[in-house]
Amino acid sequence: MLYCAILRSPHAAADILNIDLTPALAVSGVVDAVTVDDFSGSRYVNYGPAYSDRHAMAKDKVRFYGEEVAAVAAESVQAAWLGVRAISIGYKEHAAAPTVEAALAAGAPDIHPRRDKLSSNVVQSVDVQLGDTAGAFDRAALVVEGDYEHGVVWPVCMETNAAVASFDRATGKLEVWCGTQAPFFVRKELAQVIGLELKNIIVRSVAIGGGFGGKSQAPEQIAIAALLSKRTGRPVKVVLSRDEEYIAGKSDHAKRMSLRTAVDAEGNILARAVDALVDNGAYTHMGPVYVSAVRQRTANLYRVGTAGIRAKLVYTNKLPGGSYRGMGAPGIIWAIESQIDEIAEKLNLDPVDYRLRIANQAGDVTPLGWKITSCGLSECLTKAAERIGWKDKKGKLPPYRGIGIASMIHPSGSVLYAEGNFSNIAIELHPDGRMTVFTQTADAGTWQNTVLAQLVAETLGVTMEGISVVHMDTELGPDDLGSAASRVTFVTGNAAIAAGKNLVSKLRERIASEWGIGADEVKYEAGVFSNARDKRRELTLPQAAQRFGSLRVEGRYEIGLERPDPITGYGNYAAAYAFGAQAVEVEVDRGTGHVTILNIASAQDVGRVINPTALEGQTYGGIMQGVGMALSEDVVFENGRPVNRSLINYRVPRIRDTPNISIDFIETADALGPFGAKAAGEPTINATVAAVANAVADAVGVRFHKLPITPEAVLAAIRKRNQQQPQLKPYLRAYNAEIATVRKLYPAMFPVMKKAGKYLAQPRPQVREFETAIANTLDDAIAQAAATEGSRFLGGGTDLLPGIRQGVYGPSKLISYRGVPGVREIVTTDTAVRVGAAVTINGLINDELILEKFPGLTKGASLIATSQIRNRATVAGDLCQEKRCWFFRSATPCYRFSGPACPCYAVLGDNRHHSILGAGRCAAPCVADLAPMLSCLGAEVVTAGSGTTRRIPVEQLYVWAGETVLNPAELITSIEIPKPQARSAFHYEKYARWQGDFAEASAAVRLVGTAKRIEEASIVLGGVAPKPA
Amino acid sequence: MARDSKTPTSKSGTTAVSLSVNGVDRKLVVGQHESIADVLRDRLDLRGTKIGCNSGECGACTVLLDGVAVCSCVTLAATVSESSVVTVEGLAREGELQELQQAFMEHGAFQCGFCTSGMLMSAYALLSQQRKPSDEAIRTALQGNICRCTGYVQILNAVRDAAARS
Repeated sequence: MLYCAILRSPHAAADILNIDLTPALAVSGVVDAVTVDDFSGSRYVNYGPAYSDRHAMAKDKVRFYGEEVAAVAAESVQAAWLGVRAISIGYKEHAAAPTVEAALAAGAPDIHPRRDKLSSNVVQSVDVQLGDTAGAFDRAALVVEGDYEHGVVWPVCMETNAAVASFDRATGKLEVWCGTQAPFFVRKELAQVIGLELKNIIVRSVAIGGGFGGKSQAPEQIAIAALLSKRTGRPVKVVLSRDEEYIAGKSDHAKRMSLRTAVDAEGNILARAVDALVDNGAYTHMGPVYVSAVRQRTANLYRVGTAGIRAKLVYTNKLPGGSYRGMGAPGIIWAIESQIDEIAEKLNLDPVDYRLRIANQAGDVTPLGWKITSCGLSECLTKAAERIGWKDKKGKLPPYRGIGIASMIHPSGSVLYAEGNFSNIAIELHPDGRMTVFTQTADAGTWQNTVLAQLVAETLGVTMEGISVVHMDTELGPDDLGSAASRVTFVTGNAAIAAGKNLVSKLRERIASEWGIGADEVKYEAGVFSNARDKRRELTLPQAAQRFGSLRVEGRYEIGLERPDPITGYGNYAAAYAFGAQAVEVEVDRGTGHVTILNIASAQDVGRVINPTALEGQTYGGIMQGVGMALSEDVVFENGRPVNRSLINYRVPRIRDTPNISIDFIETADALGPFGAKAAGEPTINATVAAVANAVADAVGVRFHKLPITPEAVLAAIRKRNQQQPQLKPYLRAYNAEIATVRKLYPAMFPVMKKAGKYLAQPRPQVREFETAIANTLDDAIAQAAATEGSRFLGGGTDLLPGIRQGVYGPSKLISYRGVPGVREIVTTDTAVRVGAAVTINGLINDELILEKFPGLTKGASLIATSQIRNRATVAGDLCQEKRCWFFRSATPCYRFSGPACPCYAVLGDNRHHSILGAGRCAAPCVADLAPMLSCLGAEVVTAGSGTTRRIPVEQLYVWAGETVLNPAELITSIEIPKPQARSAFHYEKYARWQGDFAEASAAVRLVGTAKRIEEASIVLGGVAPKPA
Repeated sequence: MARDSKTPTSKSGTTAVSLSVNGVDRKLVVGQHESIADVLRDRLDLRGTKIGCNSGECGACTVLLDGVAVCSCVTLAATVSESSVVTVEGLAREGELQELQQAFMEHGAFQCGFCTSGMLMSAYALLSQQRKPSDEAIRTALQGNICRCTGYVQILNAVRDAAARS
């Protein structure tokens, strides 16, 4: 096996001047290296020939940070990375257009050559009036309008993308094992870019660690591994790191939407009009579908008289958008549902009653031509309202509590792709009576395989125990588009039923000929063939299998619909439509703006439930993804480069975020659905964002126009509503003179420093391998550190190891000294409690002496990180951890990362987590929780160096955030906390985005005195300044 | 990439360690930069331990180290000689699923399954220390494990149920 590593662009926009692979090939273990020129095929097809704009790797120019530029195959992962780093490459950087505004601005650089009749950077332009929209607005009794905007969301599959490709030179066949939702597309795209015949490409079955749309296209690294395998004749494996997944995996699409709704005096919607800008990213994968999602909800959610849609899909220099659950629906539904609430308020109607009045109904044909055959939206609204306790709560909740409701519509069995109108599935009956179902769809965790087995079992009237499912395999399974667009249960499910019926009829024919009767005389029921006229003749399915040997049948289902009009989008897009409503109750913290979700009630019209446990799981999962989208998930970019590349500050919901969720399924048994089922799993995200937003608006009395609704946004809204100005006036405060000056000068300084920094940046040595030594005495540890330059002392490794992988640390050697006697003990001296340096955070929390003397410390320490980290991280390691600034941690060439010639990116960039006090040239705050706590308690750090020991008060330990006064060969042996004074109390309060995150702000408070009189007080703040303040 | 320096660096060094892995004593020679997760997956072929982020942020790699849950991706194997490690493969006994595993199955507490081993190990560590944990304790124990599929509801129910059964 060879291992592949990929060289990625460090620029959002640049020309590639030259690439020299020879130094890579000279690295020991490197077998091959390729660039785009080594691909003999053409560009990816992606959304179709009209939108085909991406080569197998960057060609001549790079268009986003992280784009594939070259790749190496080597005998080991380490050698592959060394090879990648050895590649010599020259770039000429350009001004990037990282946002839609920048890309559409006059004089913006063309990211791609201009398309026919379209202006610069416009991929697609839609301008459709489905009826007399202008007239409807003219005669409206009420018009509400607003602008809505949301950024980019990552799918965050827990398993990163990975692939093994194996080309057999003898047969000319390429086999691929990869986590994909769509083997069909993988084959199609590989054939295209590598120049192989489709029949020679086989995708095999694997387990897939999550999809959510994120694996529904053909990720670029598969083709790269495939080419390397073809060239070397050996299997090649590629596994993306989480960081690569962030910068070059596909994301959702950002949107800006100006929406207007016109209603008559009763609230009937006369028309809706939207003007949307969809951010395509640097290449087109699924952008046009996101335009289509805006059109579809604008025209179809609730009864709408008519609709007008204007939309532009725009190239930007950032990671290309792909697919993500909901395909853009949650964003536009949020805009629509915000206005539905506003209309209800203005017309003095209850939001639920109003929605019931305008709900879609079975028999409706929407302005876009959707024929609603089954619809349980009214029942969903009623049920969700009932479950949340709408009547008792609406308008009656205490301040800062609120409830909201929202609906959704979702196509089921849609004609999204030209190839997507059908599904094929195969059943093989084995001689032992067991069956295998073969499908090219892929179960990424949705339990679709179980559902398909159920549908076959139900069709045959047998139990599902004897049925296994092989998914993804393109040699064993017949053609199918794959698992996307909410289609498997409906489309492939119908094919499974057809296959089951075909199996019965095929067996019926054989049995008939053996029994010498007509096929129609063979009866089949619940796994038994019988002769209606001769009761003695009977054959069970296993008996039939035994008699006739292996038998393979296929089943096919076609959605008998025309594709919608390519210009207007008009047409009956799907075989059926699913509906749902969700109601949400929230509580807002008026001090921090933090939103806590208390209850969610979901009621969904799913046609018919096939597998309740699976569907409940899908519903809970979709809702929580929606919660993330509504409140916290947002990629933060710095000039096109994602900076919050970690699961700490790209915040997906964790278990503490899960509220009470009630689920109801409304069954409306669609005529075309398999046993009446409709699309159900994907669209559970669709209404959540809107329902949460409406609940927050209800709680604080302000409507939000930007997602996610962050604590900062909520706090700012509350302040604005209360007409409060923020209390901080940094320029009036002496201690903030420096930051005030820096802020003032920065707009002029920043570009100059950025440019200078480019030439003067000091690269940090990035290592993948290092030595690790274990020292059993302090002297040994110190001597080893003194002897090897670049060595570092190792605590629990929970900061050091991620830091090494992020390129923050580049040690040559790590020295663990946890085996040194005493460093893992907590003891008392005459005056103090001595905590050994290598005591873990949980060791501290669980220590009875600490609990007795400093219960506030026990409690405060339990707010640090997560239990796995607390079990390893040490007290000294917490104090010495590096800064967590997201620019620094994402290896942005900033002042602290690359040296004094470089600027601080936080001054003008997104600095929501940065210092608010005393930031100078670096705005990173001190996030070590123990620093303010121990400093407040008057603790001292005891260190040992070559022949010396020092006692350093904790407040004097820091030079800056994450930087201490310790010498390279000086280590912390213990921390001594003075015994508490009589009549003293200590407490630590922390606000973090999620429990376990680093502090946004924290305060350690120590008081001495009585309940009546405080004699002494000490307060130390954390998370707000570069040092404990 | 800015993250890559121009100077390739390679330091190799190995250390002999003895570990008890799922009750079996193992003597291994490991690379000094290798994490426990690397060693489990690549040297011992115990691939139930998953690497989701390699930074201690997602919990998919959670194993028990000397009885407590840790992220095996940020724990260096060379530093934990003479320790005991329990992985998800160590839960079932003679083909019979451990109570927690059984409860996860019954409640549908996984979808893609990638986070499941880590979830099980975090929950197992909790139930080994507290037979009847409160909801608060369950959430605290599992806060370090990210699941993107389930929304956590069925996981919570499974752990509650396993605790109630024991």
